[in-house]
Amino acid sequence: MSLAAIVNLNHPASYVHWGFFQMSISNLIVIILMIVVFAAAIALPFPGSRRRRNNS
Amino acid sequence: MSASGKQSWTVRLREAGVRTMPPERLLPDGQPAYMSSWIYIFGVLTIAALVVIIFSGTILGLKGPAWWHYTSIGHFFNSIHLWAVELFFFFMVVHLWGKFFMAAWRGGRSRVWMSGAISFLISIAAAFTGYVSQQNFDSQWIATQAKDGLNSTGIGAFFNVLNFGQMYTYHVLLLPVVVIGLVSAHILLVRRHGIVPPIPLPELGVHGLAGADAAAVSAAETAP
Repeated sequence: MSLAAIVNLNHPASYVHWGFFQMSISNLIVIILMIVVFAAAIALPFPGSRRRRNNS
Repeated sequence: MSASGKQSWTVRLREAGVRTMPPERLLPDGQPAYMSSWIYIFGVLTIAALVVIIFSGTILGLKGPAWWHYTSIGHFFNSIHLWAVELFFFFMVVHLWGKFFMAAWRGGRSRVWMSGAISFLISIAAAFTGYVSQQNFDSQWIATQAKDGLNSTGIGAFFNVLNFGQMYTYHVLLLPVVVIGLVSAHILLVRRHGIVPPIPLPELGVHGLAGADAAAVSAAETAP
């Protein structure tokens, strides 16, 4: 119950519009998060990978 | 060996299984060095989310709609089920992007790619039948909107989104069986063909690696 108060969901979803393109803010946030996580997964070093690279 | 000298079908099946999937390939000792990257963990994260989906969905199925709508613990498991689905698709999409830009169908891995892609499509149908099986105003709204769309394709008489019993059967039995079967096949194919290596960088030699690492990548690229 307390968590539900952080974001009030009792109203129609908000949307962004770019010409013919339309998307809900919640879907847009999820897509941006996926892109951020994808970039971080490529950029961040994996634990133990540096030691192995130095050995080769 | 039977008395007639012919092997029984169980022996032939066992030998074919071991030939297709040797135990050391099914459960390997280790993985190649190039797997030391965060991008390789999204497949197993997707599977972990799927396990939570199946577990929470089983509890929801055992208790029924009144339980998941009117009790606190029912709300809790309903939320677990929803957020596990959100994470399932989140991880699966990042996994898909990673494998797409890695061209993961290389080295005879086309069936690995196709089983993954079809799992994704069937999962969307499984999630959709879940949304229309909630037994609330939200599911009624989604179902009536979807009915208009599906009617335009002509499938409405066969796949009726306003029919709760039909959608629920699709959601808790038919589509999960297909998804679990495809994901299992996908994992077995990954084991058979090995994890896809990075795309070669010719100017740096084999993937910029040297010695044993380069040899391992070359071997993985030509794996059956």
